[in-house]
Amino acid sequence: MHRATRRFGSPRAYLRFLSVSFVVNIQSVLEYRANFLLQVFGMMLNNAAFALFWGMLIGKVGAVGGYGFDDVMLIWALVSTSFGLAHVVFGNVRSLGQIIQRGELDLYLLQPKDVMLNVLSSRTLVSAWGDFAYGFLVLALLPGFDPGRLALFCALAFTGALVFAATLAAAESLCFFIGDSSGIAGAVTEFLLSFSLYPETIFGQGMRWVFYTILPSGFIAFVPLSALNGLGWPAAGIAACAALAYSAASYGLFRLGLRRYESGNQMGSRV
Amino acid sequence: MSGRGLGTRPLPPACSRAAARGGIIAAAGLKARKYGVAGLVSARNRTAYMGSFLGDILSYSLFVFVFSRVWTAALADRIDIEGYSLSQLIWYFIAAEIPAFGFGRFFWTLAQDMKSGQVAYLASRPFSFVGYHFAQGMGKAAVDASVLAAVGAGLGLLLAGPLPISSPAHAAAALASILIAGSMQFLLQFAIAMTAFWIEDNSAFFWIYQKLVLIVGTLLPIEFLPEAARRIAAWTPFPSMSYAPARIVSSWPGGGAALSLIASQLAWLAAAVLLCQAAYRLGRSRLTVNGG
Repeated sequence: MHRATRRFGSPRAYLRFLSVSFVVNIQSVLEYRANFLLQVFGMMLNNAAFALFWGMLIGKVGAVGGYGFDDVMLIWALVSTSFGLAHVVFGNVRSLGQIIQRGELDLYLLQPKDVMLNVLSSRTLVSAWGDFAYGFLVLALLPGFDPGRLALFCALAFTGALVFAATLAAAESLCFFIGDSSGIAGAVTEFLLSFSLYPETIFGQGMRWVFYTILPSGFIAFVPLSALNGLGWPAAGIAACAALAYSAASYGLFRLGLRRYESGNQMGSRV
Repeated sequence: MSGRGLGTRPLPPACSRAAARGGIIAAAGLKARKYGVAGLVSARNRTAYMGSFLGDILSYSLFVFVFSRVWTAALADRIDIEGYSLSQLIWYFIAAEIPAFGFGRFFWTLAQDMKSGQVAYLASRPFSFVGYHFAQGMGKAAVDASVLAAVGAGLGLLLAGPLPISSPAHAAAALASILIAGSMQFLLQFAIAMTAFWIEDNSAFFWIYQKLVLIVGTLLPIEFLPEAARRIAAWTPFPSMSYAPARIVSSWPGGGAALSLIASQLAWLAAAVLLCQAAYRLGRSRLTVNGG
């Protein structure tokens, strides 16, 4: 226990570190306030386009694969807030491969905090704030909104964000082993998002194992949907266990890759 | 010897007009060649790294697959929706996504040129800024669209059944419609990119534009829109950008109706050219170049 704490640092210190990173990132993006608001509302409108699509389609044909409009919107709320939260807190998650490839990890290796957490949290993605807010807006507009449901939604969005960040970081970390992993990482992002945003039932039984293993849409969207539709906190517990497992696996892969890292001998600074 | 040699003798009026006309044609030919070369170089650059198509092919195939599943589930207990069968809806989506995917990403390069100041360098060169970008963008996009069309045809055969192209006229109309839709994509994205002269980060405008294109005719045929929305959509360029080519490919509306769709596309194309030129002229007056 003592050895583990000494290697990684105390959780309280890391919480303080993450909150300081978060505040600095917010201050940095708020320097361009008009741009920030434009991107946030642009992203919310962007997401709303799909609400129109589903509204029109389900209005014409009724439920699709057993999913009504409220179910599809709940999936959108969960995935959007989870994806947003992952990129708000860990804004570098989709640049990790590029940072490794360019040999820019040197800067983080010299700092006392854990390299992976430090790299991931050193930036926030502006448009992700729109995704983050969109989920709450949708949840508030759906029937049955109450404080208990909001608390469950927040917990599920948190576990979903961990699964998102862990999976995307793992795909980017492949860069340590294969050089350029941008193609694989891009495909993982696209596939994970696309499978998470559509009803699970339309893909058939044969694909279900994919959603609970390499592309964990199940733990981002489908298990959380069951939790919100009646299974409640026990289902949220399953999502939390999955989030921990994916985070640990992703962290392990990064540490394993880090041993193969070669410095870019670059001079750099974090301002 | 008289001073009036052949070189100074005035040509008869008819000959002079012909020579002038020849000069204009030659100059126009030279100009067209200049942009043709720009387009060709861009197309060659695109084919230099065949591996770079993989990401686009994967994303396009993923969307086609996901939407084929959505339409299969939506038509589980019915034969058609608004007259479109399952096979037609899948082919519709395959065709509608070609202009969106193949010609849909000019904005990022253009916006980057604006932000990096590259615009100042290109604006001073001896070619039309709009024309050069059009040739360059379309050269690359034509390669992308051709690759996606081939992939789409293969996916369609697997997921929806035989290719719905019934005659050479049908094929020609589909090709013309896709090319006009692609050109409109370029021109409208160019006009949006020019807003960077006023607002530094204009990506939100592009997202909104992209989603309007998606909703009005790409994800769904416009027959699926509510009556009021359909009437409004008819007054916008968006049905010309995906709906027209996808409708022509997936369910041949007959020669007359196809020509009417293409004529409407051409009218919107002319409007887009004017908008594009106006946006560039207005924006250029705000350009400030500081040494370098």
